[in-house]
Amino acid sequence: MSYKIPMGPYHPALEEPYKLDMICDGETVCDAKLHIGFNFRGIEHLAETRNYVQVIALMERVCGICSFIHTLTLCQAMEKLTGQTPPPRAQYIRTIMCELERLHSHVLWAGIASKLMGFKTMFMTCFEIREKVMDVLQAISGNRVNYSMNRIGGVNRDIEDPPAVLAMVEALEKEMADKIIPIFTTSATARSRCAGIGVLSHEKAVSCGVVGPNARASGVAQDLRRAAPYAAYKEMEFAVQAQQEGDVRARLLVRALEIMESCKILRQAIAKLPPGEIHTGDPKLVFTPGTATSRVEAPRGEVMYSVTWKENSRNPARVHVRTPTYVNMPAVRWMVLGARLADTPLIQASIDPCYSCTDR
Amino acid sequence: MNLITALARLLIFPGLLFAVPAAWFFLWVERKSVAWMQGRIGPPFLQPFYDFIKLLGKTTPSREGIGGLLMRAWPLLAVSSAVGAVALLPVLPSSGGFEGDLILLLALLELPALCIIAAGFSSRSIFGEIGAAREAVMAVAYNVVFLLAVVSIAAAQHTFRLETLAGLPSTPLRWLGLAAILVCLPAKLHINPFSLPNAEQEIYSGPMIEFAGPELAMWELSHGLEWVAGTGLVAALAAPHLAFGWLGPILFVVFSFAIVLLLSTASAATARVAIDTSVRFYWQCTLIFAVLAVSTALLLRVRP
Repeated sequence: MSYKIPMGPYHPALEEPYKLDMICDGETVCDAKLHIGFNFRGIEHLAETRNYVQVIALMERVCGICSFIHTLTLCQAMEKLTGQTPPPRAQYIRTIMCELERLHSHVLWAGIASKLMGFKTMFMTCFEIREKVMDVLQAISGNRVNYSMNRIGGVNRDIEDPPAVLAMVEALEKEMADKIIPIFTTSATARSRCAGIGVLSHEKAVSCGVVGPNARASGVAQDLRRAAPYAAYKEMEFAVQAQQEGDVRARLLVRALEIMESCKILRQAIAKLPPGEIHTGDPKLVFTPGTATSRVEAPRGEVMYSVTWKENSRNPARVHVRTPTYVNMPAVRWMVLGARLADTPLIQASIDPCYSCTDR
Repeated sequence: MNLITALARLLIFPGLLFAVPAAWFFLWVERKSVAWMQGRIGPPFLQPFYDFIKLLGKTTPSREGIGGLLMRAWPLLAVSSAVGAVALLPVLPSSGGFEGDLILLLALLELPALCIIAAGFSSRSIFGEIGAAREAVMAVAYNVVFLLAVVSIAAAQHTFRLETLAGLPSTPLRWLGLAAILVCLPAKLHINPFSLPNAEQEIYSGPMIEFAGPELAMWELSHGLEWVAGTGLVAALAAPHLAFGWLGPILFVVFSFAIVLLLSTASAATARVAIDTSVRFYWQCTLIFAVLAVSTALLLRVRP
């Protein structure tokens, strides 16, 4: 007997509202349908009513976790339209913030994944470390969630004491290497919940066009930091982590290894931080009419902004955002086919969905 | 055991009057110790009691198409059978008991699980039904190990009378049996790694989803009582408390407390495993204990 089980829009396994209707046969999922749009806020339309300073503050509120990435992408697009080039120190600070945000996002995801496995001790450990990442972010930007760091042509705040930040980063790296990564890779119960479930084959990953850690877990070794470097990534040495299995464990491993790579990038960036200005300091910005796009590797995958400006306007004519979750979502349907009902919360969470970004 | 001692055991010690505060205490110990292990502060000492009183004061909303009487009967039945199970535990020396009270204890211990299954199906919620189905599958799996372990302990010492069993010296076979019972307790008490029937991230709280107010309070109480009965059974068989006279009950509580801590640690250190892994785990245990129980029975036949 097959029956339909709704997961969401309000469900203990979901942080944000969306809905997965699953047709089940016993404990096995035969089919699934996705519904989104429960959290639509009309931000793209609001952006058209804001000027070029206000729009940065607005787009920062698209997502609570990758708020820096969104303003970075927007600023990069607007820098193309105004012909500004941020000074090298600003580029390095942007890289440091990006990587701290990636650490924050991956650790938060690890916590949520462990909660969905019923592993609440691990959840608490992850969130304790996440607090420390937020402390570093606060030490740099003065804020814990919306950092207000980006401006057209640079950043707003300087890293005044790089050795102190480096010490914090090294302490973080040690905790990640000692606590999170060993538990996820060695715990037998955690492994029994992750290995071989929610498999997304390489072919399916390519045909669905998934991005970010999900693509890399299915053997698609693409990373914009390497493929189309922005900020100071050209000067950083790091490896693009990829796994071939395509299951939840592979996605977990990719993120765990990326945490270590992020720490590596952070150490390099802080050590090489060049002296100089942190922004161009140009008070009068002239926008060339037209459309500019910018792409950035967010913790969840590629974020793209397309910004259009009209002649003599202070406001953008159009700001279009493409978030990684929007492209990753259709893959969930293929991941849950044939899965056990008990695994579906974990499978949907394994793509690290962010519905507030997607619905905006 | 005459009527007065039976009533005293059921209503005063180790029955209702002792078991209910003990249930709240064990629930608190479990929550507090897990909280400490997770770096949280945890609930205050009286929190399970406050929860109970708060739930008792709430009214249950009317539910269309669900038998109200049935919904009230299941938790009450679970509570009374769990109290009965606790009352049978041999805590005081020369407290009575009768030949075969171990079998009654096993039956009473099993009733709350049956009530949960029935309650899940009577709630007519899809999540309740899945939870009940999981509970049923788990019960079939862990009970084989549980019963075989108890039977092998009892058969090896020629008695199904709890007091006699508790008074006899321990043998290696008994320790093996107790280890098997301990392995079954997480599944019986719905804690990690076998917290499948009430997995909130998967199926909300499973069979309990349609329960609120006093009915939920009764379920919480029966859960606490199951803790007392389950850990108490192990403590009664493992601790030599009967030899200590009136100090025995204290030793019994201390031993139960240690088992609660042990189970809480196991639950804090593990993730929830899926249903097929759990069932496979218990059936593999079963094989070992089936062989053990059968060999004990054979050995007993050889004896003069």
